[in-house]
Amino acid sequence: MEMGEHLLGGITVLDLSEGVSGPYCAKLLAGMGAEVIKVERPGVGEASRREGPFLRDESDVETSAPYLYLNTGKKSVTLDLETERGADALRRLSAGCDVLIESGAPGRMASLGLGYDSLVASNPGLVYVSVTPFGQTGPYRDYQGGDVVAQAMGALMHTVGLPDREPLRIGGSVVLYAVGVAAFSGAMLALYTRDFTGEGQHVDVSAMEAITVAQIHASIHHQFGRIPARRESALVRAADGWVSPGLEIGVREDIWARVCELMGVPELADDPAFSTREARREHQQDVLAIVGEWAATQTKEDIYHTLQGMRTIAGYVADVEDLLDSGQLRDRGFFQDIEHPHAGKATYPGEPIRVSGHAWRHERAPLLGEHNAEILGDRLGLTGTEIAELANTKGPEHE
Amino acid sequence: MSDLPLKGLRILDLTQIAVGPYATLLLGFMGAQVIKVESRTRMDTSRGFARPSPSGAYNLYPGGDPGERPWNRSAHHVQRNANKLDVTLDLATQEGKELLLDLAAVCDVLVENFRASVMDRLGLGYDAVSRANPQIIYAKISSQGATGPEMDYGSLGSTLEQTAGLASITGYVGGQPLMSNETFPDPVVGILTVGALMAALRVRLRTGRGAFIDLAQREVTVGMMGEAFLDHAMNGRVAGLTGNRHPVHAPQGVYPCVGDDSWIAVSVRSDAEWRALCEAIRRPDLAEDARLATAAGRRQHHAEIDEAIAAWTRERGHYQAMHLLQARGVPAGAVLKGGETIVDPHLEARGFWDAVDHPEAGTYRQVTTPWQMSKSRRIQATPAPGLGEHNTFVLGDILGLPAPELDSLERRGVIGTRPVGAD
Repeated sequence: MEMGEHLLGGITVLDLSEGVSGPYCAKLLAGMGAEVIKVERPGVGEASRREGPFLRDESDVETSAPYLYLNTGKKSVTLDLETERGADALRRLSAGCDVLIESGAPGRMASLGLGYDSLVASNPGLVYVSVTPFGQTGPYRDYQGGDVVAQAMGALMHTVGLPDREPLRIGGSVVLYAVGVAAFSGAMLALYTRDFTGEGQHVDVSAMEAITVAQIHASIHHQFGRIPARRESALVRAADGWVSPGLEIGVREDIWARVCELMGVPELADDPAFSTREARREHQQDVLAIVGEWAATQTKEDIYHTLQGMRTIAGYVADVEDLLDSGQLRDRGFFQDIEHPHAGKATYPGEPIRVSGHAWRHERAPLLGEHNAEILGDRLGLTGTEIAELANTKGPEHE
Repeated sequence: MSDLPLKGLRILDLTQIAVGPYATLLLGFMGAQVIKVESRTRMDTSRGFARPSPSGAYNLYPGGDPGERPWNRSAHHVQRNANKLDVTLDLATQEGKELLLDLAAVCDVLVENFRASVMDRLGLGYDAVSRANPQIIYAKISSQGATGPEMDYGSLGSTLEQTAGLASITGYVGGQPLMSNETFPDPVVGILTVGALMAALRVRLRTGRGAFIDLAQREVTVGMMGEAFLDHAMNGRVAGLTGNRHPVHAPQGVYPCVGDDSWIAVSVRSDAEWRALCEAIRRPDLAEDARLATAAGRRQHHAEIDEAIAAWTRERGHYQAMHLLQARGVPAGAVLKGGETIVDPHLEARGFWDAVDHPEAGTYRQVTTPWQMSKSRRIQATPAPGLGEHNTFVLGDILGLPAPELDSLERRGVIGTRPVGAD
């Protein structure tokens, strides 16, 4: 193996999925060097091409922020799977693929003749990954999902937020990315297994289950007699934002005295109300008030570095700009500048997994149908006219 | 090949607390033999204290009773460490280090999540381990990564949510940043680790070579906010707190239901779903309201819509409201409590939970895997091991130490089943 060979060199993936979870799974596979062919609807493309935010807030299939990020390193072909010719082209493509990722409602792919059972007949090694809100079976399988539904049904949301307010979602689309992570690991397990058996299989990923696995406290706490609840925030306001001083858990007992000295209140070092971890947790609001007076005069990152230097488990609330400026992330070369013909140059979060001897692929997202000639022409042997017809043929709208 | 995908794979598990144990829990479910290494002086923190003080209730015991061996029945330990064998080795001693390297020589994978430089300081870093076994896949999971000025900074799941940006986009509009109560970056990176290991193991099948995997929880979490970075690059915006609202679609929110602290989440993604919602909550007048015909209009009048939805949900249970809305194709989910997920009919029908009968912690339901595979089985969860429960099996049967040597190790406290401080 040469240094820099990709982890998934030689693996081909068909990405039929829409939104966040399936595309993120496929993005990780592309980052590891798989050839990922994204199949999109002619003219309009995948759903996230129509979701903002867009460059200058002008709707454009080539400048959607989620699309640009979630589809790095992929190729794009346009096929309408609702038409017989589109579905037939997909069948032929799938015969030469290792992984297929889809996020249609359960039964939809089968109704197009593209279900697992149909495709596996001509490609027994196919790993077929379905990512849906509730999975392929069970009483809720046909229910509609999405970000807040997954957070609600996975028991993640009930304990997020303040006690006197409604439960709160975790922001962005982070939870849907986490579902994509589950799909990624499920797909990799199936590929690993295939190396021994030669056989692919159907991997069924349910957002509700992925998030239920991700709630590591709620279900076990409940069963062991403590009902977890939303609680007051333990953050402290710094001069320019928020920090957590980290004085309650996992710190040595002599640290409090040193922190008191730092804050200019050495007389509190021996105060029994604060001198042990347990006492500080019991009097947390008082501790936060004391720390708050000092913190208000310092910047959040200074507090973070100062207190971490004293071996507390401090944190600071970093926003997007803070992260771009982070000395740690810069030192590791985490962010990547990627040029895109329509969106321009932008700074993207880089590889989430570093494996020695293997490079990550950082390439821009494809333009809609950019690889029609390469994939449909060179690979499937269609003529230019046939490609043009296929790429522009739209079946009955199913929006 | 067994239908357990990881049968025959042996994992040396030096993980603790949450993120690493979650990774090895899942590997165990898929059939790997997982050997968890702790020591009598330094148990996994998830086991709690050898003799917990009654007031310092960080951990949780069945029925509130720590019992004689609290370290074997704490909630965090039993939930995260199913499917594992447990061996004690004192890695501060030369003898302990040598035994660890002997174990590494017969394992396929090592996973650890100490502060980044701990294993190197012990003389057990990747260099030492790969000398003992050049084919081993060594996965280092850390908060900040294996390099960089903050590599040895300590973290908890909650502080990672801050330093990775998640808290900056989680909170009520006009409020302050908030964290989840689930240390979200822990389970998610644990789940990701499984896929990363499979990628490295597949390469090893071809080449016979080991690898070092560097997983930074902060980086993984930042990578799950990608669109915010693109919005910043293209439009100069810094993502902030948006409560339960969706940036484009409306309405989206969380509404009160009948019952104690009982809620439903509702998310409308299209005009068709909006009309279906209006029918479901018996407000056809709203569907006719021209002001509310588009998502932009609905965002503008969101408070008014919230009141109409809440007036309807307040009369109904959260499950009942969910079924009524879903029957019309409106995305809605009961905001389940942990105790409700373990009896949810859908998860039940899919066989998601495993019932565990733990010899020291009693019976409970265990989360399983975030994937279901059509050909590959997973095991039925086995109870999380007692401290040092498998010393004889691991050191005797696997490493081949003779019984007198095991006795000697135990007499000298290098191994044992009771932590220092228990007696």
